[in-house]
Amino acid sequence: MTLDQINQELANLANSGDPVFANAANQVAQMTAAAQAGQLSTEDLAELLKDMQRQLDIIDDMSQLKFKETLNTIITGLLSLAAVVP
Amino acid sequence: MRRLLIILAVILLPGCALYDAYMMTGFDPNEYLLITQIRVDAKQYKTQCAMPMATNNAVTISYKTTLFETYSQGLPNNADVQRAAKSLNEIAQGLVDSYGKGPVNPLFCKLKYGSIENSAAVMQVVIGNRPR
Repeated sequence: MTLDQINQELANLANSGDPVFANAANQVAQMTAAAQAGQLSTEDLAELLKDMQRQLDIIDDMSQLKFKETLNTIITGLLSLAAVVP
Repeated sequence: MRRLLIILAVILLPGCALYDAYMMTGFDPNEYLLITQIRVDAKQYKTQCAMPMATNNAVTISYKTTLFETYSQGLPNNADVQRAAKSLNEIAQGLVDSYGKGPVNPLFCKLKYGSIENSAAVMQVVIGNRPR
């Protein structure tokens, strides 16, 4: 993947309408721009990109938890209904 | 009717997900407070990266992320938050490690706190929505 393609993908994510992914894409764009301008060392950039991976893992874990919360609401609602309906 | 509802639930919902969701840890005010504190601290510390207190700030936030990870480990049926807390703690520990190696670039510090703040914000919303 070329740098232009990466920048295009980042722009697509930033305009995806999802605030979490838009924020992440903006962060990566800021990091790569700073590294290209010599404001960040390669070592710092590598650590920050690892953090982005960790952030994506967190988003994934929280998406699963959110799904379980929705299920829990449905189950609780069904049990309440089952308790009152003969 | 009751039997129909239960059969409907069993058919519509996958077994493991059903069990996990039913047994999930409910809202824990301490867990919610800790992740809120981490988010607020990161937001504040992000503006102090070029100030003398920057090293102390990094140590303070890493202590809180360690506390959050350790606390979440003690709660049963809490695997998703435990994994996320571990990742969040790794981000914070990376910042402390950098201060241990020598002077830290304020931009690096600012972006690190940005990662912590964004992650904590995502976690705060989901943890706050847990069943009460």
